[in-house]
Amino acid sequence: MNKLFDLRFVIGCFFLIVGVLLLLYGFFTTVHDQSVNQWCGSIFSIFGIVMLLLSYRNNTNDNTND
Amino acid sequence: MQLHYIDYSIIALYFLFVVGVGFLLKSKIKTGNDFLMSNRSIPLWITSLAFISANLGAQEVLGMAASGAKYGFYTAHFYWLGAVIAMVFLGVFMMPFYYGSKARSIPEYLKLRYDEKTRTFNALSFAVMTVFSSGISLYALAMLMQTILGWDFNLSVWMAAGIVLIYTFLGGLTSAVYNEVLQFFLIVLGIAPLVFIGLRKAGGWQGIMHNVDNVKLHLWRGMDSAAHNPMGVDGVSLIFGLGFVLAFGYWCTDFLVVQRAMISRNQNDAQRTPIIAAFPKIFMPLIVILPGIIILALQKQFTGFALPANANGAVDYNMTLPVMLSKLYPSGILGVGITALIASFMSGMAGNVTAFNTVWTFDIYQSHINKNASEKHYFYVGKATTVAGILISIATAYFARRFNNIMDLLQLVFSFVNAPLFATFFLGMFWKRTTGHGAFWGLLSGTTAAALTYGLTVAEGKGGWIANMHMFYSGTSQAFNIAWIAFSVCFIVTAIISLLTKPKPNEQLAGLVYSLTPKQKDHSKVWYKNPLWLGIIVLLITLLFNIIFF
Repeated sequence: MNKLFDLRFVIGCFFLIVGVLLLLYGFFTTVHDQSVNQWCGSIFSIFGIVMLLLSYRNNTNDNTND
Repeated sequence: MQLHYIDYSIIALYFLFVVGVGFLLKSKIKTGNDFLMSNRSIPLWITSLAFISANLGAQEVLGMAASGAKYGFYTAHFYWLGAVIAMVFLGVFMMPFYYGSKARSIPEYLKLRYDEKTRTFNALSFAVMTVFSSGISLYALAMLMQTILGWDFNLSVWMAAGIVLIYTFLGGLTSAVYNEVLQFFLIVLGIAPLVFIGLRKAGGWQGIMHNVDNVKLHLWRGMDSAAHNPMGVDGVSLIFGLGFVLAFGYWCTDFLVVQRAMISRNQNDAQRTPIIAAFPKIFMPLIVILPGIIILALQKQFTGFALPANANGAVDYNMTLPVMLSKLYPSGILGVGITALIASFMSGMAGNVTAFNTVWTFDIYQSHINKNASEKHYFYVGKATTVAGILISIATAYFARRFNNIMDLLQLVFSFVNAPLFATFFLGMFWKRTTGHGAFWGLLSGTTAAALTYGLTVAEGKGGWIANMHMFYSGTSQAFNIAWIAFSVCFIVTAIISLLTKPKPNEQLAGLVYSLTPKQKDHSKVWYKNPLWLGIIVLLITLLFNIIFF
């Protein structure tokens, strides 16, 4: 539950979901040039994962301190 | 503009997250202090990003891109001259008084430093300004929805306001601040690809240099006269009006932004909040102004990038960003771009509503209507004020439809209310002889002077409701001049009346006035924890940008 209150976790989840949506749309849609969605999806996903890792590290440190 | 299911999915996902944050935080918000002040427990990185994001409303994102197309690089003055220096000043010099005095709001600081009537005057004018700004944000979003999605204006206003209401009502200031940080990342990551794609299509930096009028590619050239630059502003008005009066008036005394620093966990964090926020602020022109310049280069090279006309038949510069999004983004990332615009609106509106909440509850309701109620009572008053604030914002949105360039309008409002205010704070913090009577009459005179100057001058067909005694080159120039006139009148009247009235005894001013407050020196601090060193770094980077784009 504590993790849900960590803003990094919320931001990470949001951008990871948006990134994956863009990647899937970019790969499976043939309308227009989809390279923009592919590289934007990749960047968003990486950003989301970094935020989740930061959140995970923060939670681990908190638990260790406790 | 045609949106597809993927775009709507991203917009819906965003709505789900912002409302979800409100529900999540609901269980943690139990008292008026939690709801209105976040219990002063927010970490530094969040307060810093919220500080910048509270200002990153729709009028900022749409308005700055519009000004970028209208005025070119000169628009960057709103950042490098009109924001960064004031943010550093706030962090280094003013925040110790705000945070150290334990005031819960800026008007409450005025009560401690001066008296009740000065506080009430400021609280009432601030309340009007915040709902007005909130209404402008709402108007901008509704117009955007109507134009690009074909939604009915009235429906857009009520639906968008409803979403902001849900998450601010449930989670209070903490919810607004959390969402502001999410919105900051969304705005930056949602619009940055547009700049990259637009720049590449325009032929890179060389393409900009070749296709945009040289007169729009500088910061300081042509500032010797208002007739020599597209902004229609002379250097003196710019430096004194924007760089000093408006910038310091907004960033150092506007509770909407200062509140984000005041909810920090300790004084050092509160001081560093605006200075750390100044780092991304320096680079924000790349996201919000550059699209306006890129579209000028694209208009020269391609068809389809022309801006539509507004109701008056003039070019509607506020459509700069929506046109860029529709022409350069395919479905998918288009949904992210549209969501970023919606986020910018929500950020601005929620910021205004939460600041309005606090000032109404603490500085008007608790101060004048019900002084000794329980924490729970103020918690409910805060919630009721949230609903009232949103409803007033909706009414204000309809008023905003009458104006063209949102930024000019905002500057006008700021110049009436904020310009004289900085004189009051400056004298109050740095001259112990300043009195409550001086501050009150100074503020009243300054605000009156602002309104009178607007009534006696005309720019772009606006103002002159008393007489047309002077014509300015642009609305921006008019706003800058109103600002320094209001400041000067407030400064002089405050000083004269203070000299004629009895000041507070020194012992009552400790912690509120610079000369009567013990200086805190902590030599063990590392440089990145020292507000002064951070401020110097920020100012050096800003100076470098001014030289590069001279």
